Amino acid sequence: MGKILLVFLLLVGFTPITLKAQDKIILKSNELFGDLSARHIGPALMSGRINDLENHPTNNRILYAGAAGGGVWKSNNGGLTFKPIFEEYCQSIGAIELDPNDPDKTIYVGTGETWTRNSVSIGNGLYKSIDGGTNWKKIGLEKSERIANIIVNPKNSNEVYVAVLGALWGDSDVRGVYKSNDGGTTWKKSLYIDQKTGCADLTIDPNNPNILYASMWEFRRTAWSFESGGSKSALYKSIDGGATWNKIHNGFPKGNLGRLAVAVAPSDSNILYTVIEAEKDEKKGLYRSDDAGNSWKQLNNDFGITVRPFYFSRIVVDPKNADVVVKGGLMGSISRDGGKTFKNLGRMHADIHDITFDIHNSDRMYIGTDGGVYRSLDGGTTMEIVENLPLSQFYHISVDDAEPYNIYGGLQDNGSWYGPSTSAGGISGRDWNYIGPGDGFRVLKHPTKNIIYSEMQGAENVWRYDVTKSKIKTIQPLPQKENPKLRFNWNAPMATSTHQPDRFYMGSQFLHKSEDMGNTWKIISPDLTTNDKTKQEQENSGGLSIDNSGAENHTTIFTIAESTLDQNVIWVGTDDGNVQVTQNGGKSWTNTSMNIKGLPKNTWCYHIEASVFNKGTAYAVFDGHTNNDKNPYAYKTIDFGKTWTNIITDDIETDSFVRNIQEDYENPNLLFLGTEFGLYITINGGKKWHKFENNMPAVAIHFIDLQKQTNDLVMGTHGRGVIIIDDISPLREINQKMLTKKVHFFKSKPTSIYENSSFSSNYGTETQFVGRNPSRAVQIKYYLKKRHTFGKMILEIQDLEGNIISTLGAGKSKGINIVNWNYNIKQPKVAKGKTFSFGGFSSPKVQAGTYKAVLKKGKETFKHQFEVVYDKNSDLTKEDRVFKHKTTMKLYDMTQELAYIVYELDAITKKATSLNNTKLLTKLNDLKETLVITTGDNYVGSAEKQLREKLADLFSKISNSYDKPSSAELENIQIIEDRFNAASKSFLKIKKKVKFVKELNLKTFEEFVK
Amino acid sequence: MKKLPLLLFVFIASFTINAQTADEIINTYFENIGGVENFKKLEGFKITAEINQGMVIPIDIIKLKDGKEAVIVNIQGKELKQNVFDGKTLWNTNFTTMKAEKATAEATANHKLAIKDFPDPFIDYKEKGYSIELMGKETIDGAETFKIKFTQTPMTIDDAKVPNISYYFFDTENFVPIAMQKEILFGQGKGMVSETKFSDYQEIDGLYFPFSMTQGVKGKAGGQPITITKIELNPKVKADIFTFPKVIEETTPDSKPQSQKKEDTHKH
Repeated sequence: MGKILLVFLLLVGFTPITLKAQDKIILKSNELFGDLSARHIGPALMSGRINDLENHPTNNRILYAGAAGGGVWKSNNGGLTFKPIFEEYCQSIGAIELDPNDPDKTIYVGTGETWTRNSVSIGNGLYKSIDGGTNWKKIGLEKSERIANIIVNPKNSNEVYVAVLGALWGDSDVRGVYKSNDGGTTWKKSLYIDQKTGCADLTIDPNNPNILYASMWEFRRTAWSFESGGSKSALYKSIDGGATWNKIHNGFPKGNLGRLAVAVAPSDSNILYTVIEAEKDEKKGLYRSDDAGNSWKQLNNDFGITVRPFYFSRIVVDPKNADVVVKGGLMGSISRDGGKTFKNLGRMHADIHDITFDIHNSDRMYIGTDGGVYRSLDGGTTMEIVENLPLSQFYHISVDDAEPYNIYGGLQDNGSWYGPSTSAGGISGRDWNYIGPGDGFRVLKHPTKNIIYSEMQGAENVWRYDVTKSKIKTIQPLPQKENPKLRFNWNAPMATSTHQPDRFYMGSQFLHKSEDMGNTWKIISPDLTTNDKTKQEQENSGGLSIDNSGAENHTTIFTIAESTLDQNVIWVGTDDGNVQVTQNGGKSWTNTSMNIKGLPKNTWCYHIEASVFNKGTAYAVFDGHTNNDKNPYAYKTIDFGKTWTNIITDDIETDSFVRNIQEDYENPNLLFLGTEFGLYITINGGKKWHKFENNMPAVAIHFIDLQKQTNDLVMGTHGRGVIIIDDISPLREINQKMLTKKVHFFKSKPTSIYENSSFSSNYGTETQFVGRNPSRAVQIKYYLKKRHTFGKMILEIQDLEGNIISTLGAGKSKGINIVNWNYNIKQPKVAKGKTFSFGGFSSPKVQAGTYKAVLKKGKETFKHQFEVVYDKNSDLTKEDRVFKHKTTMKLYDMTQELAYIVYELDAITKKATSLNNTKLLTKLNDLKETLVITTGDNYVGSAEKQLREKLADLFSKISNSYDKPSSAELENIQIIEDRFNAASKSFLKIKKKVKFVKELNLKTFEEFVK
Repeated sequence: MKKLPLLLFVFIASFTINAQTADEIINTYFENIGGVENFKKLEGFKITAEINQGMVIPIDIIKLKDGKEAVIVNIQGKELKQNVFDGKTLWNTNFTTMKAEKATAEATANHKLAIKDFPDPFIDYKEKGYSIELMGKETIDGAETFKIKFTQTPMTIDDAKVPNISYYFFDTENFVPIAMQKEILFGQGKGMVSETKFSDYQEIDGLYFPFSMTQGVKGKAGGQPITITKIELNPKVKADIFTFPKVIEETTPDSKPQSQKKEDTHKH
């Protein structure tokens, strides 16, 4: 019994005691971040890589797109626009399948893209939704990494087949064809070859679902090589629902095979197509079978058919015509003669990965490319891009210090770009500027001049672009006599300096330094890599198809960081695991990687962040996934790398390998970690990490920057473009003491009243993605210890005397709340007329000064003072401001006084009508017709403007202007004021003679305008 | 040792609390907000509220048991009725002409489906043909909630029947909904998920109502709060306020009849 008691004490009693002893409040992520939310700014104009397209079997308005790194998107309008439906899960998508028997509800998503390029992301299993994509459940195959196809038996929803391509960077026994007989609850291997061979393509005979075809592919990638093909690659057929499989190679080329694609013509089950990667070039290409795979004949060997099989092995047959065949490829190829001859698809972004035909009309096609989804209405001849898929895949981003600041970055196969963090009407495609072709990587703004550095793969070109003069120069370091071969990474590092604006660094195996913006270069290091020769044989890479694109260049420098505290301290990280540091500007270097305990040898150093608090302090993150190691690694040193401390905890999800870390500029314990599956934040130096999920998908984050003036956290994601969390400064204040308070107001910088405006035309952009702008309003930020649900809670804005200026809906969340106030007072009360007085909709801005946010929660009141200031670039003097305010308020008051006159007049009119006092009525009506519009509508039926409209329009004109009142406006006031005074006088004259005024019980002016 | 059974009881009891069924949650909800029988007695309510969009707009929302309802927006002293249903016709006021216009037949048919939802769709939901399902727990606004899937009568959108599903999040502490999410089924926002947050529950004649609602899109910052200043139960309203007018009544007593009737096309 004693034991049981102890157990119960532990369960019931002990826990609270332990908590008390520690006296710590530990919040979950979704109890902390509250209203702190990410905004997505794209760009979408070049979109990003698509892996899979999926039709609805009966409704051709519905189409799904699975992005390589950007999640699952659904279109409800035939592919004009798409919405994301898979935000909380792995964004790397291999395959999407709708259950043909229940297509509105049952959806399967297999994660992990299957076009196995060097920068390919990783999946984490198979998901299912039974409510059309609202809720998702992971249903297994967690270690599958890459899912190529999912097929639901069209006659039996419980029978599901999954093609697992599997791990790319190492052995795995989670590969091959899996089958479930219970709708995905349990899985059994149906076809498995070995740890190196996965299923690259799987298809079913739609007319006989017991027949399946599977292409098995032997493949492997390392950071420095790629190998496609082997003796295990083969094409298999099953005629018994996957119970047994047989090779169908009659007519196939001899020797090893590589990646094969396979397709059955939906209109004729006997006709099959396969694309074969073979040993001999002349045997590669398209093969066709007219007897359901019993024999094969080679039909075509064109470049478009044989190019890069690992990237383009997809064949799609027109559902209505077995002789119309489309093949993915560099440009995409279409045959209308059963595969004998091909022509390119219409002009669009290169690298075609998937194609689908409209179910009713084969002229309508959808194509998935490295640059998004394209539509065609004429059978693939003319292509049109889908403009609202912000799937851009950034390798790197940076920011400048302009107002508003710009974001710079390079994209997978989509060049280099920069665009603004805010723009009139939102951030649209036209706001982005192209600054370099190829694959884009690092893009850096010169610290002081209007010059941008950008590059393409392997530093084949590094551009220095003088934006003002429109001059472009290539400045990459070139081989010299002593160093005839430079090894640049595919994603070659560059860096600028905060000490010398013209200084520019690049890394090959050496660190190159230029003091004149790349005109002259000096090598300031020995080879800082392992210089392992076995990892430098890229010309032999590719397997059956040589693929030496430069993507596998290895033993190179990958990250460079010059300390902002001491220009002689420079950190360098290499792709083969070295962390080197110099404290004397490159005279001598120390390799500190052996001091990092727990880090496997040769793990890719992805980023080093030199601390802004201490020059011996730095953070280094490592990405081991190319060694088949998906563990997260992040370390901190405070002694120039002599010792390193692990700052990763169990809070980071499994397999979330790390690519970037960002240190806050003010709070050394506030760190941001970019992983393969999203963003993590720590407020205590890495003791506890919180996953940030507010409008933040679980996307791979490749680079993070923190913009100094705004405190905006800017993330370059590999699949969802640029994502920003505006002003992270509240996180700096979070600590144990603060967390015990019922309400805590966060400090805020003075808010500048925004007076800029511009014209923004947006016709013709209805189907385009537009990124949200940050708020210009005063943002009142506070922490609530508990969610407010019962009783009244409001947020008042008051001046220092306690006058209420505005009443706002308060944020009620536990955690951080953000309430916007647009520094306006209430709009004036406007006289009632037949139509609207549009000028009367204007609310004047408050004067600059100190205001109070007063949070009234039940019986308690919490107060916080904040500043509103005028735009520092404004030309108006203090006197101008006073005069402008006085003038505005004079018109404001006059507008309300007129409203009161009309209110009184209407009441008298009503009574006079009931008394049938026509003489009085005539007088009243005659006056009223001069006060407000009494006829017409709010459009072309509008009547002549009267005093109310003229007064309110002038009020609005002056109130909304950034400028002081002009002399023309002041003269105009005079006319209006005269008319107002005359009207007021006339009304008083009438009113005086009306005996029943007292009986009307009219409101006082104060009551009326309240 | 005598304490043991008590501890055991506490332990088991806490387990029972954790294992709520959807029906228990709904039942507790009604118990906590004033009793389902008292809600059933309601004949109607009138909500007086304000929307602050920079411009402060007062609105009244009237809903009656027989399905009649109206939203009355007050702009510059003019009352413009929106989403008005007179039992037969659903209509709105055109803000340009300020005249009444009928909603589409489809919108009207969908609106009629919700008549029986007064005053709360969860009352006798089974008899209405609805179903509920507890999906588990989810944190909303930092508070732990029960997520309830609520399936109502399918709607017709663009001639096709579509499921009518919403998700309610009941605070595990008080058992009142603090949020509701629903996929937007038509228009520009189709496919996005709308989210309404509820708070400031206050008592009126023994019944609790949320006095604050914030409407927005799930995951996006910047919802629009509606602050309720007054809720009147069983209000006296003139029946004719819901009637679709042939020519909309002029609210300005002395104004003259319309003479200009031009097409609502672009001016330029």
